[in-house]
Amino acid sequence: MKKYLSLVKLLFVQQYKSRASSERDGRKRRVGTAVLYVILALCFLPIALSVAVAIYYMGKVSGGDPYICMFLTLMCQGLVFMFGVHAIMSNVFIVKDADKLLYLPVRAPVIFLAKLTVAYLNELITTFVTVLVILLPFGIGAHIGAAYYLLLPVALLLIPMLPMLLGALVAMPLSALIARFAKNSVIKTVLRIVIYALLMALYMYIVYRLGFLTGSENGNILDNPEAYAEDILRELTEQLSKVMVYFHPNYLLVRAMTGDTFVRRMLYLLASIGENAALLGLVFAVSLPFYRAMLGMTADSGGRRRMSGYNVHSKGTVAELMRTDLRRTVRDSQMGFQSFAGLVIMPVIVVLLYFMMGLADEGGTSFIELMRVSPLYQAIAPTVILIYMTMLNNGTNVLGLYPISRENRSIFMLKCLPVPFGKILLAKVLLATAVMAINSLITCVLIVALFGLKWYFGLAMLCQMLTLGFGSMCITTLADLKCPRLGWDNFNQNLKNAKNSWLAMLVALVCAVALAAVSAPCIVLYALFGGWYWLLIMWLVSIGLGIGFAAVAYRIMKGKAAYHFGKIEV
Amino acid sequence: MIKLYDVSKTYGKAKEKAVDSLTLEIGSGEIFGFLGPNGAGKSTTIKMITGILIPDSGSIEIDGVNIADDPIAAKSRVGFVPDTHDIYETLKGIEYLRFIGTMYGVPEAVLRENIDKYADLFEMKGALGDMVGSYSHGMKQKLSIIAALIHDPQVWVLDEPLTGLDPQSAYRLKKLMRERADSGNTVFFSSHVIDVVEKVCDRIGIINHGKLVAVDTLDNIRQSDKVSLESLFLTVTGEGE
Ligand SMILES: Nc1ncnc2c1ncn2[C@@H]1O[C@H](COP(=O)(O)OP(=O)(O)OP(=O)(O)O)[C@@H](O)[C@H]1O
Ligand SMILES: [Mg+2]
Repeated sequence: MKKYLSLVKLLFVQQYKSRASSERDGRKRRVGTAVLYVILALCFLPIALSVAVAIYYMGKVSGGDPYICMFLTLMCQGLVFMFGVHAIMSNVFIVKDADKLLYLPVRAPVIFLAKLTVAYLNELITTFVTVLVILLPFGIGAHIGAAYYLLLPVALLLIPMLPMLLGALVAMPLSALIARFAKNSVIKTVLRIVIYALLMALYMYIVYRLGFLTGSENGNILDNPEAYAEDILRELTEQLSKVMVYFHPNYLLVRAMTGDTFVRRMLYLLASIGENAALLGLVFAVSLPFYRAMLGMTADSGGRRRMSGYNVHSKGTVAELMRTDLRRTVRDSQMGFQSFAGLVIMPVIVVLLYFMMGLADEGGTSFIELMRVSPLYQAIAPTVILIYMTMLNNGTNVLGLYPISRENRSIFMLKCLPVPFGKILLAKVLLATAVMAINSLITCVLIVALFGLKWYFGLAMLCQMLTLGFGSMCITTLADLKCPRLGWDNFNQNLKNAKNSWLAMLVALVCAVALAAVSAPCIVLYALFGGWYWLLIMWLVSIGLGIGFAAVAYRIMKGKAAYHFGKIEV
Repeated sequence: MIKLYDVSKTYGKAKEKAVDSLTLEIGSGEIFGFLGPNGAGKSTTIKMITGILIPDSGSIEIDGVNIADDPIAAKSRVGFVPDTHDIYETLKGIEYLRFIGTMYGVPEAVLRENIDKYADLFEMKGALGDMVGSYSHGMKQKLSIIAALIHDPQVWVLDEPLTGLDPQSAYRLKKLMRERADSGNTVFFSSHVIDVVEKVCDRIGIINHGKLVAVDTLDNIRQSDKVSLESLFLTVTGEGE
């Protein structure tokens, strides 16, 4: 017990300690964090206040109906769940401190329990906010008796239980997924963001379905707001009474809070506590074996010996590699020109095209205007332009074409750095992609403005350019790594007859063919049957394929990086 | 600690091995001098120790970490001063040092402290704001030396570190090598200047045509045959009487 408590304390306090290296940095960071929270709070205050007011009225109109209260409780839990899954994943299952905790003379279940407790404590904070914003105003609005408020703290303690169970169930497969990609921080981050967005969307959807859709056909809110609200609430209550019993611990809890006699309240309360305890036991039983498995996995792969005291896999490596690379290229006049000329060329070409096709003839209408009348213009034009731009983009981005040859004799430096070669290449590709992204953004904005495309097609084009650009740069980077031209004295001279720009054009050509192959059927279907969804499908499929291409190209590049780096003799 | 076991390396299409079955062990707290005529394979050996080249056969361990098994961990323990000066010319000295520091994961405060300390020692403070391209040969050399030390490596590998340094800096470098060895680190450097090797090293190895032809402590060499290191060097490399 003592071990458990001190472990909880350690783990809980640890997450709020800044990892700053010096005391001064630490204080600066703490102040920064505090300011950030204040700003965040100020941003959310209006929302929270309006929610509270709305719920106050809800309480008033419904008169403290238990089913509405259950629904609100569930809403609280939804929020807790949403924010909690991430916390459970990173606090409990993704075991970063395995090597530290494994040496402690504490058994794994105790550690696991401590970690769950910490996750619970964290969820309590969210719960507190939701109770403050949702359950409290409801009670005030409904003029419920004192017992409701007396039981509110108990509710506060019990509300996180259900989200904990669900959270653990959801977090387990997700953590396994993330742990599988644990060595790739980019994919890991993307995964986390995607998961988060999905949960958010799910929550929104459920709330939308459960509550706010029901009253939509009941007349106009402006005619008679009171009656309107009552209508909605009646319907809502009806529906909720069917659903809420499935969240049985909540049902019991709210019954206890809104019940009429003391004995009934107590019975319901005890039953609710009992059910929640059972839930907790279930969570524990289900997730302990999983935790053990994860621990084993991390401990195995984490068998790497201690470094010379510093964490070599510090976060800023890729960013620093990119920054240094950028500095070097920009400051070298030859390389700088070669690398950034593309930034100017593409927009200039777009403007030129506009002047060629956009100027009105004698009749007063221009070619572009003629085309724009066609219903197929918005379907075909983006794809055609995209294909054209992909070719140009890929062939001209010197940053992405000769990333290794650019290193010249100092390539030995990269080879003796304690940084995985895959990361070095990633930094190079990202830098080239970033430059290309600026280029593409300008170009797309110009195209949308000049050629009258819908903005969302411009956005789709931009996305697609990025995926294709990233993918083909992975390929060209690998090709340059395979046989780099090192030991030059003049960069321009060195690039003459280099085959990489041809390779890039070839890759772009293949991409173009693939794009056309995907787009053509959809455009034909769109032309035949109409319906915007054909275009949506077209872009979704093609961007999906683009992402797939980028991912595969990146994997290949990363997989071969060490081998080809090893072969370079300097 | 550095351990090389039966290490060989042949460059690309070359017929001769640049390094041939080299086995060598250098302990902690030791300064090891690596001698040999031009083209003997010194730089090649050093490049394999620092992870720049991969040996064709044999294994290399840095502080018990096999480079082939865990290159990142092994490399993070090594500080390397190359014999060429192909440092990023379009970076400022300070930017270069910060870059290296970040790559080795050195915390900001430590990084600042170490840059201060070593830049002071080699009188490079004023020059750190300038582009590396504008540095003299010796200044680049000093920058490499500082860069190799900012992550406080257990193994310090230097390829002909004294060429191009003025007497003052050379003296400070030698002192620094001694200090690092005394605090339990390994110092490995190559040279063909016998005087220097004689003054600084605890142990020496002589390599010729890629083969290690002699390894011993300086004391032993002095006591046993009453030969000078110079005559030993000339004998084993085939120039002696
Ligand atoms: N990049 C390279 N490609 C092909 N052969 C090389 C390369 N670098 C070195 N060699 C060959 O390998 C052999 C050993 O060279 P190394 O650079 O190791 O010698 P060294 O002992 O450092 O000589 P020095 O005292 O001149 O620096 C030489 O025969 C050299 O020609
Ligand atoms: Mg050499």
